[in-house]
Amino acid sequence: MNLSFILFFFVKGLEISAPIAFAALGAVFSERSGVINIALEGIMIVTSFTIVWAAIALHSIWLGLLFAIVAGSLIALIHAVVSVTFRVDQIVSGVAINIFAVGLSRFLSQKVFGQETQTPTNAYLFPRFLGINSMAFLLIPIALIGWFVLYRTVFGLRLRTVGENPEAADTLGLNVYGLRYAGVIISGALCGLSAATLFPSQWISGMTAGRGYIALAAMIFGRWDPVGAVLASLLFGYADTFRIMFETKIPIPGQFVQMFPYVLAVVVLAGMVGKARAPAADGKPYEKGED
Amino acid sequence: MSETLLEMRKITKRFPGVLANDEISFDLLKGEVHALVGENGAGKTTLMKILYGLYSPDSGSIHIKGEKISIKNPKEAINCGIGMVHQHFMLVPPFTVLENIIIGEETQRFGILNEEKPAKKIRDLMERNGLIVDMYAKVEDIPVGIQQRVEILKILYRGAEILVFDEPTAVLTPQEAEELFKTFRQMTAQGKGIIFISHKLDEVLEIADRITVIRKGRVVKTLEGKEASKSLIAELMVGKPVLLEVERPDVSPGRVILEVRNLDLKDYRKVAVLNDVSFSVHAGEIYGIAGVEGNGQTELVAVIAEAAPMEHGDILLDGKSVANWDVRRRREAGISHIPEDRHRYGLLLPFSLAENLTLGMHHRKPFVNRFQIINRNKIQEHARRVISIFDIRTPSELTPALALSGGNQQKVIVARELSAEPKLLLAAQPTRGVDIGATEFIHNQLMEAKKDGRAILLVSADLDEVMSLSDRIGVMYKGRIIKEFAREETTKEEIGFYMMGEKEHGRN
Repeated sequence: MNLSFILFFFVKGLEISAPIAFAALGAVFSERSGVINIALEGIMIVTSFTIVWAAIALHSIWLGLLFAIVAGSLIALIHAVVSVTFRVDQIVSGVAINIFAVGLSRFLSQKVFGQETQTPTNAYLFPRFLGINSMAFLLIPIALIGWFVLYRTVFGLRLRTVGENPEAADTLGLNVYGLRYAGVIISGALCGLSAATLFPSQWISGMTAGRGYIALAAMIFGRWDPVGAVLASLLFGYADTFRIMFETKIPIPGQFVQMFPYVLAVVVLAGMVGKARAPAADGKPYEKGED
Repeated sequence: MSETLLEMRKITKRFPGVLANDEISFDLLKGEVHALVGENGAGKTTLMKILYGLYSPDSGSIHIKGEKISIKNPKEAINCGIGMVHQHFMLVPPFTVLENIIIGEETQRFGILNEEKPAKKIRDLMERNGLIVDMYAKVEDIPVGIQQRVEILKILYRGAEILVFDEPTAVLTPQEAEELFKTFRQMTAQGKGIIFISHKLDEVLEIADRITVIRKGRVVKTLEGKEASKSLIAELMVGKPVLLEVERPDVSPGRVILEVRNLDLKDYRKVAVLNDVSFSVHAGEIYGIAGVEGNGQTELVAVIAEAAPMEHGDILLDGKSVANWDVRRRREAGISHIPEDRHRYGLLLPFSLAENLTLGMHHRKPFVNRFQIINRNKIQEHARRVISIFDIRTPSELTPALALSGGNQQKVIVARELSAEPKLLLAAQPTRGVDIGATEFIHNQLMEAKKDGRAILLVSADLDEVMSLSDRIGVMYKGRIIKEFAREETTKEEIGFYMMGEKEHGRN
């Protein structure tokens, strides 16, 4: 094993981790505001379709990214309207969006490209750096910015307040609903970056393969902290990278090797029981003026 | 003559089916403590929520320093100089004291938090009002009494001149309450006005310059503090003369019913919540646990009644270890439980009274036949009997529990638990949030149970209740029973010292 191979392993791992990490970072913002966002998977499906569609249609991957971010925010907005304003159970809303997203992307693919399960390939791609999609490197500054926003800004303090004690926030004159909308929409927007790093050259139905859920696991393992969530995503991402690079060299049936990242997620989460604490009001709809 | 800070004129607020506030007028002068007293559901909290912009009144007006204003939300209330210390603290436990104080009122540059300027202002407020707190401690790590200081600092930080305290002493020891009153005096000396909501009449008499009594949404009377007396206020609150003392039957304790030996329990952070707890309760005896809430009382009851896991120790009922028994087996063996949170653990709110009154016995004859099919007639018959014995005010036994007042809901639980004829009754906060009439009734029922030779473990945050009912009193502090008294040999003040852990290390 030479040096360049090791370097390649490291950057490749970053590229594979990035879609999970951006979504996990988004999940942190949503859940810190008190809204469980299980819709990440569905949002990622929609953004990864949108980025390809817009890039092909507008001949620019950057416009594709812009549209993906907008699309992610809009789907997240649906989740916010349903679960914050109408106080529908957040899990139910999230699951509904995930089902909706599968149908929506297939429907649009059929309408736009005439085929339901995949788009044509998109030739407008992000520049490459060190042999991978350069967008993956954005992960590091964005994670740090996320940490800074959450812990060092007024917005972050208020966001965390509504996630812990919305009643207290209300009595202090904070806009509980507005802050929760912001948290959820940020998570949708970050799924635009997930799409940018997942596979912007083509959309194939089912290609997100549960990464939205893995991102939630990473967020929990990262203890609802931006840096923690990104580090946990890297763990899952590198585990997957290891699988991809060594799958053929290990004398175990491929199906079992492919299970590895998911099994790892389960094991890691089982080990977290009783150790991590979710924001106190996470998952609880808040009704203003409630007694 | 001092200046009027606040005037609420003819405030009316109607909820579906209830007239919560019926033309209530209330005013507050500069530099005074004005107590607002009344039974639960009399309309105190509604009035204060209107003042704080959480509800809007149907009619009536609010004037601050003579100027008519309308308050649509808490932000506007804060801007009008109104601050409220809520009964359930509005704090964020994992945040620091400083963060809790500044939320919503942050000092910032380009959205980035600045903590230095606020720290200086807070330090100044602490010194001026005698409210010293470690600003960088996390709220979850400081005791309840200190958390209250954070709440007060929070409203002072916002420049409040009208300060509302909703049952502030409910969570305090007598000494901490004294400290709080000192702070009240310091604040009124600065020209602030304080609205003090309480149902502890001794405290109201001690601190209030004026006392307004409300009943069923109407102002009954506003008294000068000097001319008031305990029995007068109680009578105005209830609408008829009230017996404030419980009659204690003369029962000599029998054999040991409950014995708790060396109980240990740790929480998820590995902090000891129960630490070598040992005590015993005899037949015909009431053993009271005194202590500031959060010192292990809840966990102690959970371990005995709910079979919550414990680390170490043993629980004996009538000489037999029940430590490994599940809840049903314990109940069958004679343990009854009035849980502290009646809505979560005591009742099935949407279920009828008949069903609620049979819970825990519902699987036994005569309520089911041998095929475990429920016999509704037997259940309803039982319910009707219990309802009349325990004087539960309800339209019928088929009324859902949620339609009853808090006092009557609590009577349902007391009735169910006592009708099981237990050997041991665990009564956790048996009269919390219950009106004076129902409190009197529940206290008398506990005395009846004592007369019947039942052992009673009473846990209450209300020290007066513990003092007036118990035969022996154990004081809990940080998961330990640090001192045990016979009732006659101690005073409220002495227990207060132990509640704060002052005598923890044998300083006597």
